[in-house]
Amino acid sequence: MLDLATFRSAFEALPEPARSSARRKALDAFLAGGLPSTDLEEWKYTDLSPLAALPPAALLPEAEAAGEGIGFTDALDALNAAFAGGSTELRIAADTRRDEPIRPADRAHQRHRLHLERGAEATLILNTSGDGAFETVFADIRLDAGARLNLVRLNDAGADAHRLTRINMHLARDACANVVTVDLGGRLSRHDLNVDLAEPGAAIHLHGLYAPAGEGHVDNHTRIEHRAPHCTSREQYRGIARDKARGVFNGMIRVHKDAQKTDSEQRIANLILSPGAEINAKPELEIYADDVKCAHGATFGQLDDEALFYLRSRGLPESTARALLTWTFAHEVLQHIHQEDVRGRVTRRLLRQLPNSEQLEALQ
Amino acid sequence: MLEIKNLHARIENKDILKGVDLRLGAGEVHAIMGPNGSGKSTLSKLLAGHEDYTITEGSVSFLGEDLLELAPELRAAKGIFLGFQYPVEIPGVSNMVFLKAALNAQRKARGEKELDAGDFLAWVKHRVKQMQMNPAMLSRGVNEGFSGGEKKRNEILQMLVLEPKLMVLDETDSGLDIDALKVVADGINLMRSKERSVLLVTHYQRLLDYVKPDFVHVLAGGRIVKSGGPELALELEEKGYGWIQQAA
Ligand SMILES: Nc1ncnc2c1ncn2[C@@H]1O[C@H](COP(=O)(O)OP(=O)(O)O)[C@@H](O)[C@H]1O
Ligand SMILES: [Mg+2]
Repeated sequence: MLDLATFRSAFEALPEPARSSARRKALDAFLAGGLPSTDLEEWKYTDLSPLAALPPAALLPEAEAAGEGIGFTDALDALNAAFAGGSTELRIAADTRRDEPIRPADRAHQRHRLHLERGAEATLILNTSGDGAFETVFADIRLDAGARLNLVRLNDAGADAHRLTRINMHLARDACANVVTVDLGGRLSRHDLNVDLAEPGAAIHLHGLYAPAGEGHVDNHTRIEHRAPHCTSREQYRGIARDKARGVFNGMIRVHKDAQKTDSEQRIANLILSPGAEINAKPELEIYADDVKCAHGATFGQLDDEALFYLRSRGLPESTARALLTWTFAHEVLQHIHQEDVRGRVTRRLLRQLPNSEQLEALQ
Repeated sequence: MLEIKNLHARIENKDILKGVDLRLGAGEVHAIMGPNGSGKSTLSKLLAGHEDYTITEGSVSFLGEDLLELAPELRAAKGIFLGFQYPVEIPGVSNMVFLKAALNAQRKARGEKELDAGDFLAWVKHRVKQMQMNPAMLSRGVNEGFSGGEKKRNEILQMLVLEPKLMVLDETDSGLDIDALKVVADGINLMRSKERSVLLVTHYQRLLDYVKPDFVHVLAGGRIVKSGGPELALELEEKGYGWIQQAA
């Protein structure tokens, strides 16, 4: 097994009070379990061994043990628990609406528990955009009946960044979540999004954009479990890869036996901008109910020739026209971000990393 | 202005244009009519530089220059404008950003000074008003969610903003109600001058009631099979194309 000494060293370097027994227990569980290997189907395309090669000083476990009662479900969850030092808990009371988005402090390792009670409404913005070489953000989110959540997850860290994020969502009756997740850049990013549509009428709308560049590697795994009848899922993921970057998308949708009248749709589209870039996108549908509506589709490849001709016929140079259409492709996802500041920031970053986008500054 | 000689073009091993000859003088308006599938859109797109067509024979010169060698964006900068039969939607890019980028790209290519934001805004608003459009459309995505008629009107707006020398309008009148047709025709007439020419592809006489052509041509089976004055359009309206195709 891989030598994980760097994680232990980083932990031992913490001041004494931060090395609580609960954290140490989590650390030991991680060290025992290890990093998932690429032999596992779930990790086939994403090799986490570069994490073990990071120097201890780059790992940045939190110096303060936050919160109590650290439970964890697997080795990576234990790693996050150990490094975050506990979870922040937030509860939105029944039938209240929180207008200001919840924006957790920008710490390298974050562990969140968010609970929206019956009919509550809130917006959560999760960031792994900091300067740290290694950051982990794990969140458990529970929506009680009729609760509504807007969630934006954003990773626009620098070229050397390594990121692990996992979001688990549990939706009760008629609860509804709108999720936008964006990965721009970074060296290695793995994001897992697990959604349980646990009771009738629950709905999830999911929009994802990943645009790795340089030598970057971005892996998005989503899993939507339709466990109850009359639930809705809408999933749209778009990938743009350039240079020698690699994108991975795996979208599992499982419709359980009792989930009759499921209404599910998954759309995947990818753009490859350089010959050395690669995207592996895979839908995975498992359907055990018989009265369901499940649509899915994937498009791969290139920019629309007619649109390209239209733009050029108006005088735009080919490179500008291509940049514009690439922007349009991304915009289909970004338009679902309703916070102006977040959308502006993503737009600026995306434009910077599109080829030939100088002429598109006006889009900002 | 434009001289097309014995033009042959094919796509996917199918011959579409089989020897088109056409001369447009400066300041002239020519109408091209003809049955569906006869190659009208092919000819229009080919003039604007569409790259899917292979030219197997013939030549096209524009203002004395070989047009066929030029990329679409260079043709645009030299003054060719195609009003698309099916304008494309570009969501996420506003009409304003698009028009400014297009106009300034053309000006740059011609070695002219680019317009700054203020001057451009004044210019585009002036044109929007002439097209009787709601200025709010400028912040909407290009043709995004536009009705068929709105898209056609937007084509003419783009034309007014870009001020081309040769306007090739491919069925810009199709799908317009009578009020919109009038606005579109007014837009075209606004651009007419001694230095500008228009090639109108249309099925209907009614556009020609508003934009008087100097010449009318019938394109059938990939060739111009008949040419005449405005009266030819009236005759076609009455009798259809059958009699010409039989004669040809
Ligand atoms: N991309 C294409 N591939 C194959 N055939 C085409 C293509 N575009 C046009 N054609 C064919 O070329 C012929 C002429 O089409 P078009 O120029 O659109 O005619 P019109 O505009 O006069 O109706 C038609 O038979 C059409 O099917
Ligand atoms: Mg046509």
